[in-house]
Amino acid sequence: MKNEQFNNRDVSNEYFMVDIQDYPTEPWDKFKRTLKRTFRIELFVGLWVVMREMIRFDIHTVSYPEEKMPIGPRYRAVHEMKRLWESDAERCIGCGLCEKICISNCIRMETKVDENSRKEVSEYTINLGRCIFCGYCAEVCPELAITHGGEYENASEQREHFVDYAAMLTPLDKMKAGAQQEFEGFGAITPHEDESVKKTPLSY
Amino acid sequence: MSNLINFKIDGISVEAQKGETILNVARKNDIYIPTMCYISKTTPCASCRMCVVEAKGVDGFVLSCNTTPTQGIEITTNSSELNTQRINIMKLYDVNHPLECGVCDKSGECDLQNKTLEFNIERQNFSTRDLSREIKDWGLISFDPALCILCEKCVHICNEVIGDDAIEVIFGGYASTIIPKNSDVLDCTFCGECIAVCPVGALVSSNFKYSANVWELNRIPATCAHCSAGCPLEYESKNSGINGDDSIYRVKNNFEYTSLCGAGRFGFDFDNKDAGDETSFNKAIQALKEAKAIRFSSMITNEEAHILQLLKEKLNIKLFNEDARKFQEFMRAYSTISGKLHHSGSLDAIKQSDAAIVIGSRISTDNPAVRYALTTASKHNGAKIVYAHPMEDLLMQNTVTQFMKYEVGTEEGVIALLANAILQKADLSDSERAFFDDLDLGYLDAESNIGDEEIDEMMESFSRTKNRVLIIGNDLMAHSRSSNIAKLAALIEKYSDFSLVVVPKEVNTLGSSLICDLDKDEDISDVVGYNAKGDFIISFLSLANLAVASLNQQEGTFVNIDNRVLPTNVAVKFDGYTLNDVASTLGISATNTVAYTKELKKSSGFKEVEFDDLENFLSANGDDVRGYLLDEVSCKADGELEELDDLPEFNGTIIYNVNPVLQFNAQTNQAEQLESDTTLRGSAQFAAAARISDGDRVEINFGAKALIREFKLDSELKGTIALNPTFDDVIDAGRYRFEKSKIKRVVE
Repeated sequence: MKNEQFNNRDVSNEYFMVDIQDYPTEPWDKFKRTLKRTFRIELFVGLWVVMREMIRFDIHTVSYPEEKMPIGPRYRAVHEMKRLWESDAERCIGCGLCEKICISNCIRMETKVDENSRKEVSEYTINLGRCIFCGYCAEVCPELAITHGGEYENASEQREHFVDYAAMLTPLDKMKAGAQQEFEGFGAITPHEDESVKKTPLSY
Repeated sequence: MSNLINFKIDGISVEAQKGETILNVARKNDIYIPTMCYISKTTPCASCRMCVVEAKGVDGFVLSCNTTPTQGIEITTNSSELNTQRINIMKLYDVNHPLECGVCDKSGECDLQNKTLEFNIERQNFSTRDLSREIKDWGLISFDPALCILCEKCVHICNEVIGDDAIEVIFGGYASTIIPKNSDVLDCTFCGECIAVCPVGALVSSNFKYSANVWELNRIPATCAHCSAGCPLEYESKNSGINGDDSIYRVKNNFEYTSLCGAGRFGFDFDNKDAGDETSFNKAIQALKEAKAIRFSSMITNEEAHILQLLKEKLNIKLFNEDARKFQEFMRAYSTISGKLHHSGSLDAIKQSDAAIVIGSRISTDNPAVRYALTTASKHNGAKIVYAHPMEDLLMQNTVTQFMKYEVGTEEGVIALLANAILQKADLSDSERAFFDDLDLGYLDAESNIGDEEIDEMMESFSRTKNRVLIIGNDLMAHSRSSNIAKLAALIEKYSDFSLVVVPKEVNTLGSSLICDLDKDEDISDVVGYNAKGDFIISFLSLANLAVASLNQQEGTFVNIDNRVLPTNVAVKFDGYTLNDVASTLGISATNTVAYTKELKKSSGFKEVEFDDLENFLSANGDDVRGYLLDEVSCKADGELEELDDLPEFNGTIIYNVNPVLQFNAQTNQAEQLESDTTLRGSAQFAAAARISDGDRVEINFGAKALIREFKLDSELKGTIALNPTFDDVIDAGRYRFEKSKIKRVVE
């Protein structure tokens, strides 16, 4: 594509003046304009289109909220916290990278040592009112723990609307049922990743 | 012959002082040589072999960290062979190092990570079967052997700088690890310096572990507010909890050049959580208007002390601070002989000394920084250290070369004996010579229990030394004959090559004594206490009528043992009133407290420097550029020595008011991590003499005071002196710390 059409900033010869009639000022003139606008034929053209489609019973409108459109696998809505397939344990290791990378500063987390001397997330919130759903947190996560989900219905009465760790975490029963969905957007592993894993060569 | 050695590093001509290593010269000249185990304040560990360089005409590699250059030699710091060598070392360090960088407490501040990336280690050619290594819990310190790379920094620090000698390397090839020395659990003073020097996340603070990442923490350079050493430190704070305010998470120090004791490192949470309201503020104003005196403690900044002095002048009231007053009296007496206001020594002078006398202080708990300086002197210069005190201190046993035990209360006699020996050949004035000629040495020997041979032994061991220091502790300042003791100490400093270090008790005893005109404490009514007892208490400690900001919540300066004015900063927000607000209401107004920094008393040596112009860091070469040194002030040297008083006798059971390790005052007592052991500790001999046994609740009576304590038998102690802690604020400041006491068991 050439840039010429953008570089040419002289648009004077492409402008034209629209012929606008003066607004009526007298009450009688105003009344005449209203009558004209109300009973012109265009109104019935529109009504006829609606009528025709009604009779055909072929309506494409989604009747939200009873009916919802499917969401693409890479859609970035409210975050989810995933569990490991092997053990059902939480994937999050509390490294804090999502908190660090978040450009709208909406993630806050607290960590501590758990009874097994491992790092444990004790508190975790995302302020959805601030979140711009950019997906950096999911991209930076080394454990594929935080991802975006398809839940976009997060209307709230307040600007601050928090979602916490427990709410984001895949419920155990869902996990048991094998219903956890992997995220296919930013940061996701490529298909057939397993086949390319090699064992570390060891001398012993 | 010149002491300078000229040689070349990478073609650049450089100069080395005699004894300086190649690595140090390179660093001074901004030439980079990578190291993993080198730490400036210890002797080279020489365990990492990263610092190898090539020397022209020398086969093989040379370790730059412990090799001194010869005249004209040409050093190469970078070649492909050296690079291969270094890459192999890094690969070996990386063998089986757990890949838990994501959760490791170092969170990126890791030498291993940095160097692995620096040398671009892409593949690992070495491998070995990993061992199962369990995480060890050593109280305040937690050790993960799997992360340890055996650089041995911690062992060297513990042995050479701190003097605890509590950890060692157990060698066993790949199974080598760090273990507590001669013990199953770590038995040390918990300075935490090993945590500071650990280049990886192997040694970490148990309290801090996994609670925050480096990048979340705000660093606030400040000065430690616990003892008079005024060590530089950085408070690191962040919001506590999701919605919480900022609080301090940990303390770090510039471990390359400075050390920090456990109180500084773990006792950081003494910030005042209360904030005064308007009613109590108005009450405070009212109380001050009606006050006859203000009593304050030396846990105070110079600026606040200055405000108190202004209040004293404005309201025409008295100002009490026994601790600072005793110090002031001591230093005034010192000035009448020495003709100057400030003592000559410093912590650096102690570190560089090869002979030192410590007198009148249980220095390992009174001022750990002095202890560390003595340890450094002992390990690096082979310093002869004489420790004169009525009680032996096991913490000092690795450092002290001669323990000189004197009887309690005979400090004046002891210093006279020392001065007599040291100034034997000095060019004294006639009256001063006459003083020594008149000394009844036999009487002093007998009463103080210091024999001729002990003094001779000391003089013998000092005979070839060059840098000598006399360190004087609180027992001498609080002594009833302190002014004569000060004059004798001044005499030693004046006529011999000893420099003098007087150890102030609290963080700003020295500053308070320089700024305030203090009155002798009287037991009168209508006293307003500022961080001290009184009828109305304005304080950052508990039991305050008006809560004010504590020392990590305010800006200001301290004067430390080196006579250095050190700035400290706000680490935690404080929402209440400050002393400046109180003073402003009473007509002494300033926009903020640090406006007084440049107005501090010039006649005491303070400079006209704005607070914001004070630096607070150590240079890359370790030069202390914090704040400024007080100007030397000369004064009239018209003092005369007084004749020695009869030496007092202390018989029976004696109490020594001294704090346990890591405790200094009510401030450290608030810190959660520091152990608050308020037991009276004594030997079996003491227990027998006082007819008490381990675990008894006892009542201690001295003067008009009675105190209930639990008695704990301490097998490390000897003699009939027991140790009574004072950090829970039960003993009046400025009291002579040995007490004749009556002890009886409380029957419940």
